[in-house]
Amino acid sequence: MTPTMRRVAALVSTAVVSALLAVPVHAAWTGEIVLWDAPRWRDEAGDQFHWIKAKIKEFEATHPGVKVTLVETPWAELAQKLSIAIAGRAWPDIAPVDISGGAINIQYLRQGVVEPLDSFLTREELADFYPGALDAYTFEGKLYGIPTSMTVHSMMLALDHFRARGVQVPPKGRWTWDEFVQAMRKLTYDKDGDGKPDVYGFTTYILKGYYEAWPLLYMDGARPLSPDLSRYTFDSPQGVSALQKVLDLKFKEKVAPMELGSADVGGTFQAFANPEQRRIAVEPWASWAIATLRTNPKYKMDFAVVEYPIGASGKPVTIGGTGGWVVFRQPNKEKLAVVVELAKHLSTTQEQYAFARFYGTFPARKSVLPLDPYGDNPQMQQAAQMLAFAEMVPMHQNWRQIDERIQAQLQIAFAGEKSAEQALKDAGVEAQQFLK
Amino acid sequence: MSGVKMAAAGAARRPRPLWQEIWRQRSAYVFIAPKYALFVVFVAAPVIWAFLISLQEFRIFETVWVGLDNFRRVFGSDLFWVALQNTLHYTSVTVPANILIALVLASLIFPLKSGAQTFFRAAYYLPTVAAAVVVAMIWRWIYNYSYGLFNFVLESAGLPRINWLGSSAYAMWSIILMNILIPPGTGVLLYLAAMGSIPQTLYEAATLDGAGGYARWRYVTLPLLKPTTLYLVVLSTIGSFQVFTPVLIMTQGGPGYATTTLVHLIFNTAFLDFNFGLAAALSVVLFALIMVFAVFQFRWLASDIEYS
Repeated sequence: MTPTMRRVAALVSTAVVSALLAVPVHAAWTGEIVLWDAPRWRDEAGDQFHWIKAKIKEFEATHPGVKVTLVETPWAELAQKLSIAIAGRAWPDIAPVDISGGAINIQYLRQGVVEPLDSFLTREELADFYPGALDAYTFEGKLYGIPTSMTVHSMMLALDHFRARGVQVPPKGRWTWDEFVQAMRKLTYDKDGDGKPDVYGFTTYILKGYYEAWPLLYMDGARPLSPDLSRYTFDSPQGVSALQKVLDLKFKEKVAPMELGSADVGGTFQAFANPEQRRIAVEPWASWAIATLRTNPKYKMDFAVVEYPIGASGKPVTIGGTGGWVVFRQPNKEKLAVVVELAKHLSTTQEQYAFARFYGTFPARKSVLPLDPYGDNPQMQQAAQMLAFAEMVPMHQNWRQIDERIQAQLQIAFAGEKSAEQALKDAGVEAQQFLK
Repeated sequence: MSGVKMAAAGAARRPRPLWQEIWRQRSAYVFIAPKYALFVVFVAAPVIWAFLISLQEFRIFETVWVGLDNFRRVFGSDLFWVALQNTLHYTSVTVPANILIALVLASLIFPLKSGAQTFFRAAYYLPTVAAAVVVAMIWRWIYNYSYGLFNFVLESAGLPRINWLGSSAYAMWSIILMNILIPPGTGVLLYLAAMGSIPQTLYEAATLDGAGGYARWRYVTLPLLKPTTLYLVVLSTIGSFQVFTPVLIMTQGGPGYATTTLVHLIFNTAFLDFNFGLAAALSVVLFALIMVFAVFQFRWLASDIEYS
């Protein structure tokens, strides 16, 4: 064999080996996979599903014979649509679900609607996820999803108001309750000179299933349920004192508008971010708002992210959430293997990096941080520090009903119709029936 | 001979057996069959299915027959009684108000010339085709505490602002007020049609008897509108018992449970609590309530008035 022929043979054999290595080994199943997804970040054409469409193309290219059908679903409708689909036993194969957020009833996990994925992830793969992210998808010792992102609630500061009133942003993003109240007093002012305040320091809303206000209720050390989830504990002295402090912002300090504690989520955000309003200086939001305030032309503003004020507990506690992919029951085990491959394909380190960079979430994988997704995003850097103080809402099977009873009483307290003590006590009476 | 005639007449009066009657009218039944098939598939079957679900604990891969347990839970739930009270409150105000407003508007429009009548018919009916969600969103703005229209008007008149949707005392009244202030277009249209069918001879006779304008309206128009009123009362009651969209969009049932209605409770029970058996039981109770109300209304307002 001549040297040229040897080089050609070596090149061909290298190409063949490379090609074989490049083709992923996967199950032989072919057919249709139904994938639900909700809007992510926009591309230049305004398409908020461009990311998932690209991922589907990649997956189909490496899995000949597999067709992934995308069902585009607004976030606001996802939980209800899933619920109806489950009731009709017509669930998708895979969907983005925050189990701790209540979109999937824990009873459904027990009834086998969601596939446990423990056997599909190696020990090495699992080691790359933050334990908190895995915990959010773990129920009774089984892993029911692949986490892709974490969110955390934090305080958003409209810096134009801070500058106008000469108020300092808390150093290192940390402030005590007293410092917070003092700042709110200065930030409540009469902008148009009619003798009445038209900019307020702070507001937020109260609505079942939403937790922007709750870290404030945690600040003195109270939690809604005991650690073993058997008792209601929000009516403790720490809970009452925290709620009273927040109520005082509206009724005593008058640094919050009458809307504080209403159920109007959209109106609350508009009051803060809409350039035609901008009448609130500080609001708490989940970290998705960071991406919106940085990139959405309609709401783009100069803002800072800081921690929730520190109360008697001495910690800037907050509440977090976890997003990820859930695979629904698959009688065909070969298909299940392919669907799980798709779930993995949508939650790689690269994908979680993209989410962190463009979507306002924190990665669930440790391997993303060395890629420095927030290098040019100081607000996300600040919010990331709060992950250390993030807690999940209690993972009780009746949490939806318990939460609704507590939030209803909180609404009444914020309407000024009940004292903090009475509202939390009454919530306990109603919640306790779901803890038996 | 006359006896034969009488026997023949008696035979002619005897009703045919049902199957013979159906066979005789078979071409008509063929035409209405598709509509009936759709009714059975999309209305009758789901209603029967809902009743069956109400007797079960609905799980995904099995259903457990629990008999009347779901109904016991319904009647033992504080939330059900609160929702029922709120629904009755809403219905008891909106139904009479809507009927009265429709009657007054139709009575004012009817004497107008044809062109003006057409204008008002369209003007009052058009808003009813607007999407309920959009209407509720606009009203949420009207009720906004800080920059809503109503508080702007109140403040301009030197009056204090009202926390329309944020206060337990006002929230349900705000939803009721919204319903009342939106003109009942269907009611106006039906009353106008009914008024047009009343024979003029009755008015001429009343005028000859010395009746003035109000007397003709009170003693001729109003009694002859009774069948239309009955129809509107029944329809309006059913609609009011099923109030949902404004509650979902404007208050989410709050503050607390001040605006939680039966349909909102059914929605939450089914699609947030995922308890389809209990939600179906609530639906059956609502169905029974509406049926009882409708029966009473038919008895109370029933009329054998016929005119041509």
